[in-house]
Amino acid sequence: MPPPSSETILVERPRLLDRRRLRRLLVLLLVLGAVLVLLAPLTATDQADSLGAPQLVDRSQIRILTTVAMFVVMASAWNLVGGLTGYSSFGNVAFFGLGAYTCAVAVDAHRLHLPMAAAIALAPLVPAAFAALVGLPLLRLRGHYFAIATLGTAVAVGEVVKNVDYLGGATGLFPPILHRADLLFLYLMVGAALLAVLVSRLILRSRFGYGLIAIRENEEAAGVIGVNTTMYKVGAFAVAAALTGLAGGLFALWNSFINQELGFSLDFNIQMILMAVLGGAGTLFGPVLGAIVLELLIQNLAGRSDVAVYAQIGLGLLLAVTVIFVPRGIVAFFGGGSRLSVAHLRRSLRETGV
Amino acid sequence: MTALLSIQGVTKRFGGVAALNEVSFDVGEGEILGVIGPNGAGKTTLLNCVSGVYRPDAGSITFDGHSIAGEPPHRIARLGVGRTFQVVKPFASMTARENAAVGALFGASQLALSRAFAAADEVLEMVGMAGKASLPVASLTIPDRKRLEVARALATRPRLLLLDEVMAGLNPVEVDEALEMVRTVHRSGVTIVLIEHVMRVVVGVCRRVVVLHFGQTLAEGTPDGVLRDARVIEAYLGEKYARRLVGG
Repeated sequence: MPPPSSETILVERPRLLDRRRLRRLLVLLLVLGAVLVLLAPLTATDQADSLGAPQLVDRSQIRILTTVAMFVVMASAWNLVGGLTGYSSFGNVAFFGLGAYTCAVAVDAHRLHLPMAAAIALAPLVPAAFAALVGLPLLRLRGHYFAIATLGTAVAVGEVVKNVDYLGGATGLFPPILHRADLLFLYLMVGAALLAVLVSRLILRSRFGYGLIAIRENEEAAGVIGVNTTMYKVGAFAVAAALTGLAGGLFALWNSFINQELGFSLDFNIQMILMAVLGGAGTLFGPVLGAIVLELLIQNLAGRSDVAVYAQIGLGLLLAVTVIFVPRGIVAFFGGGSRLSVAHLRRSLRETGV
Repeated sequence: MTALLSIQGVTKRFGGVAALNEVSFDVGEGEILGVIGPNGAGKTTLLNCVSGVYRPDAGSITFDGHSIAGEPPHRIARLGVGRTFQVVKPFASMTARENAAVGALFGASQLALSRAFAAADEVLEMVGMAGKASLPVASLTIPDRKRLEVARALATRPRLLLLDEVMAGLNPVEVDEALEMVRTVHRSGVTIVLIEHVMRVVVGVCRRVVVLHFGQTLAEGTPDGVLRDARVIEAYLGEKYARRLVGG
């Protein structure tokens, strides 16, 4: 029996045709699905109403879609550090919170009072600068130490924010409510998700991406072949922070309210990691799939009072089973990278002559 | 012969122990220099100082006119110094070809992605692994992993290659194959510093040998010469044997 394939997204593949066809199909389905999903909300506008068009989605569904897109951004961004570089950050929510507060402060009439576009442009910058700053010491730690230190940083930043009056203190900040802006934020958030995937893809297919993977596989060896490990790690951390901060900024404007609990939510913190791992850490589409699957499950099950308890247990079980049997995630399951996968089963059947 | 690498008075201490104490020697362009010594003599520490893994406490290391002591590993690699690890450190989730290709992207090579795989095939051919290029690291034998370690270092296009016990743990046939590989690499124009325990290797390929003992340079010269040196025999085998062998 050949060893299970252990290739990451950017490595050459012996079964080139098989995987490539599968990927094309996957991309096509994703694009088609995305287009449908993105056009449907247009039927929920006043114009569509006046034309008498059937309303395909309601406001709550638009909200769910926006949330899914938001998590696609966060899971993809986490993947750059946790999946690609092998540094499991448990503090990425700090970037989300910093982005959210940056936007909230920027648009606030009593504070910076900038136009919304400027606020959104600022949202990735502040978290990226913060990541570069704290990344230098933090990224010298590895494994559990890195995980704990990043978690501690996120909690600490949240506590600081909560105690600064300029940032609204414990009350939080209230960006102006934009009426009928559901669709605007859906499209903005989906745009951010596309940007996150595009950036991930560019990185995966670049010298930078190979360097990050080399760091994950063996940091000392990466160094002596010439990878500037410090710069690469901090760079990946800052890019992840920028994307996560963008999601946070959009969230603050969309939600018209941000406080420490929302901005530095430990639920969000864990969810983005679970999504990336469930979908397939280190792959391009893994975190996207993980975010879609998990967020839809959470929204549809955990939000309902009658099944909420069972849903929580079910989600926990699902994750345990995934991590044990398909540690490389959903993408690997379908791509042949796991012993339980469809492709692996087919291969073993062929080999045993059945 | 001009010195490509010049090591002058290099000292490295760990706590109270001086792993290297004022070590000095030169490596000429195009040379294969052997560095031998008993366990704990400081061979690997020296290599770590040259490749930037450790920062020496004192002394200077000059490569091709650049002072590299205390520089980070990636900068030294970029200048054209490649190294292997005694305990191999492959990129485990990749195939042999990918391992070498990553090397070609960095170091002194800095190839574009599109050309890295062709360069990888070249170096795998040179180390005799062309047939195993598409195998994942997990299915490679120990000798092959050692070859891959050399291939990845070579892919960075080094002018100086530091080999840390690439023969250790190999059986006699494998040692012969590895020796042939070292000769092939040398013929391609790479200067080599060979850290070894296996005497046969050193005698087989090196014209000049430096013997380290307790972090100091004990002897320097031709392999035959240093192996007859009473101090060297003593360091390896103890005082009694040294007297008997040399007849002192």
